[in-house]
Amino acid sequence: MALLEAQDLTLAYDAVSIVDELSLQLPAGEVTIIVGANGCGKSTLLRGLARLLKPAGGKVLLDGQDIHTRPAREVAKLLGLLPQTPVAPDGITVRELVGRGRYPHQGWFKRWNTEDEAAVERAMKLTGTTDLAERPVDELSGGQRQRVWIAMALAQETELLLLDEPTTYLDVAHQLEVLDVISELNRTRGTTVVIVLHDLNLAARYADHLVALKQGKIVAAGHPAAVVTEDMVKNVFGMPCRVIPDPVAGTPLVLPIGRHRVLRAESVLAAKGIYRTKPPEVEPESSIGAPSPVTVESSIPASTQESTQASTAPEPAAGGAAAQEPAVDSTDGQAEATPLRRAEEISEMLAFATRVVDVASVGENFKRITFAGPDLVHFGAGPAPLDLRIKLMIPPAPVHGAALLENATGPELPQEFASLRPGAWLAEDQAAGWYRRWLALPVEQRGSMRTYTVRALRPAGHRDNRGDDPEIDVDFVLHLRTEGGRLTGGPATVWAAQAQLGDDLLILGPNSALCDETYGGIEFRPGSAKRILLAGDETAAPAICSILESLPAGITGHALIEVPTTDDIQGSSTRSGVSVQWLPRGSHPHGEMLAAAVRATVAIPAAGAVVTGAEPEDVDVDETILWETATASTQPFFAWLAGEAGMIKEMRRYLVRDAGMDRKQVAFMGYWRRGKAEG
Amino acid sequence: MSERSTRLRTSGPKRVSIATVNMLAALGIVTAIVLDLVAGRHPIELPGLLAALAGERVPGVSFILWEDRLPQAAVGVLAGAAFGASGAIFQRMLRNPLASPDVIGVGYGASAAAVTGMLLFGAQGIGLSLIACAGALAVALFIYAMADAGKHTGPRLILAGIAVAALLQALIQYLLTRADVRTAGDALRWLTGSLSASTWERAGLLAAALAILLPLLVPAAAKLRILELGDDSAAGLGLAVRPTRLGLILLGVGLTAVATAVTGPLAFVSFLAGPLALRLCGGRSNLGSAALIGALLVVAANFIASNIMPTVELPVGVVTGALGAPFLIWVLVRTNKEGT
Repeated sequence: MALLEAQDLTLAYDAVSIVDELSLQLPAGEVTIIVGANGCGKSTLLRGLARLLKPAGGKVLLDGQDIHTRPAREVAKLLGLLPQTPVAPDGITVRELVGRGRYPHQGWFKRWNTEDEAAVERAMKLTGTTDLAERPVDELSGGQRQRVWIAMALAQETELLLLDEPTTYLDVAHQLEVLDVISELNRTRGTTVVIVLHDLNLAARYADHLVALKQGKIVAAGHPAAVVTEDMVKNVFGMPCRVIPDPVAGTPLVLPIGRHRVLRAESVLAAKGIYRTKPPEVEPESSIGAPSPVTVESSIPASTQESTQASTAPEPAAGGAAAQEPAVDSTDGQAEATPLRRAEEISEMLAFATRVVDVASVGENFKRITFAGPDLVHFGAGPAPLDLRIKLMIPPAPVHGAALLENATGPELPQEFASLRPGAWLAEDQAAGWYRRWLALPVEQRGSMRTYTVRALRPAGHRDNRGDDPEIDVDFVLHLRTEGGRLTGGPATVWAAQAQLGDDLLILGPNSALCDETYGGIEFRPGSAKRILLAGDETAAPAICSILESLPAGITGHALIEVPTTDDIQGSSTRSGVSVQWLPRGSHPHGEMLAAAVRATVAIPAAGAVVTGAEPEDVDVDETILWETATASTQPFFAWLAGEAGMIKEMRRYLVRDAGMDRKQVAFMGYWRRGKAEG
Repeated sequence: MSERSTRLRTSGPKRVSIATVNMLAALGIVTAIVLDLVAGRHPIELPGLLAALAGERVPGVSFILWEDRLPQAAVGVLAGAAFGASGAIFQRMLRNPLASPDVIGVGYGASAAAVTGMLLFGAQGIGLSLIACAGALAVALFIYAMADAGKHTGPRLILAGIAVAALLQALIQYLLTRADVRTAGDALRWLTGSLSASTWERAGLLAAALAILLPLLVPAAAKLRILELGDDSAAGLGLAVRPTRLGLILLGVGLTAVATAVTGPLAFVSFLAGPLALRLCGGRSNLGSAALIGALLVVAANFIASNIMPTVELPVGVVTGALGAPFLIWVLVRTNKEGT
């Protein structure tokens, strides 16, 4: 078996060295595939191995002998080559072309014989080109032609075969066809094969031995399962990716992350009637948006006195005019009875009892928790279900597996929220003021209220839903440290980190009957701006992804998202022309990369970003202000900043003071403060 | 090569074999020669012709036949074959129908050297032929040295050749304008290319040179078959690409040079013969066919040249030029259409 190896091989065109002191042994009888980015020298290496290039240093050994000291024909009997762009002479037939592969076996006195004929037949049979034998090569399709070229290389009957990008210009089916032929050749004849290939996934599938090249040096070599890792791909191709097992072959499968069109959020897809996970099925009878309150009411076990009272109350008369006036609780000192109505008829804010139905990790520091519950049929605001602001009612102490509403021994649900549940009876004058009443409760009793936004809302019957109830996704950023064996962080973070399937959580959110698209969420109100800047850290990442998904075509600008590690890059999709840049922080201080990127994006004076000549407003953002939402303006530029308060204010100061932007053009939200997790 | 040739091939169920083409070409050569003898400007009666061929002395016939017509025909056939084979070698090696030696400057090398010799040193006859030969070789080697950079040698060779051709043309024009009117006339006649000065001596010289060069077409064809697969493929098959290419260039230049030395540059013969042979053989290239077609072109052009105008006998180069120019235009137009 012929053994090919490179020893300290340096290959250069003119004075520029392309392959640099590279040593490589090609395992005999195996398929070696060389991968690497464009211009990494992989084709040059193959040319060097095939003695098409004289080394500038080192040598290529064939069976221990320098390949350049051996007669060319002798080498050609051991080593075949299929170059990247072979040229078929005009009018040549398949059989003639394949026959030319016999050239090294012929000579001055050894003319064409039966052995040559047999070799040609074998080569055509193995590549499935026998039927094409008499056809002119230039009439064949790309895939057929490539098989004919491989047949020509096979007719050479060498123990080694080098192929330079044999699948270029072929469609997927033909790529596989060609690689299958090569792999079969390796298996049936034991031919040692070396391929230079672009497609990393095909390389991982077909290689016994994978060599990754970067700037003329070997970065990794070995079995694909060991070589193809996210780090290697990042290093070699400079591309963030995920690597999962190929469901077909079990080999590593590289999924590029890219910058613009990666994950299609369910809501965007659903709007187009595309569902990813479940096959289409018949819509359940309980249609979206118009469930009967009675069903909802009866399906939820009453947990508080108020609810019980409400559920036993008679149906109100038509038009909602309450015939009866039951006594209401007197916690806020209201003794006077007021008319009772269904909560969903009068309160913009409703309390929704939900249960965790899915917990997924969407990045090293991101967790996506899916909540479901029958209450959620009343959840929503207008046709745009993105980023509705909600309040999570985190129980005072972590109670896992313990049902918040059903467990009588669990923490008491503040009465205000029981009466705010859909279907519950609510006094008209109590529809507002619930926050004040909640604040008045003792801290240990009321737990914490945390504001989040909804990443996706799927109505009941959505094919991606786990059950029959509507579902919402909420993305949590886990800013956690372990201190003394205990998870430390904001209450919502701690809750999310430990959340399990079946956990219950009360969520305050918009009543779909009374709220429209003006309902507050991420306060992204670009007005008529055509250029936008979105910038934020990981806490703003879900919001920015949502904004990107909702942006129409025709908007341009930049989205800059700083995340802790490359694993947190989530990908996002947008129809707009906004370019998305993920900035993995690594060991840089929080906000440093983001601030630099913002400065690079909005230069001083920001060309086109601001109306030139506009008087910069010297506004010092007060220490206490954490939130300023821009009103819809007619300016051409709009900036939206969110994340850690100090960082955001610094960027805001830069945009307004240094870059001279109108403060109305800049919305900023301090989601949390360093040192004070989740603000 | 072209849509047209593809259509030709697919429409016909069976291709014309190369042997048939060669036989027909040979037949055409003989026909053209005989036609010229019996139906040309000075027709020879058939009985007299046969008698003279048999060796009898036929007054008024033998001289014309043996000292004029037959040497002319012999030189025409040999030079045509040399031009044809040379053109085909270049065109196939460089994979470009434009790359014939007369287009890429080799022919101009011979012409410039010959004109220089004639006008400055009064060279004539064999001396002139040798000078032309040397000029062609020198120019070819110069062009090759300019073009050979390890890769893209083919296209560079064509470009360098065209540039050198322009340079040499300027040199020729300069020499002609400075020369005496009578010698300039001789030089111009030589530059057009003619068979009229053919003698047995010259035919013998040409035959001797071709006896060495033409057998080399056999290994040349074998190597061309590999080289035309592309440099990398050829190297993969164990062909030493650079020496082979240099050898082929020397062979092609040698063929063109010896033929030019005897007849002067016969415009477009080497350019036409290869593609015509390719067309006739149904898209397969063959050096032998190209040589035969080249010979046929020259003898046929000679017949036309001596008979087309009742009063004047045209130099054969005028006719080949008149045939070649439209063909060149056609090749250019078609190349444009294919966009390759």
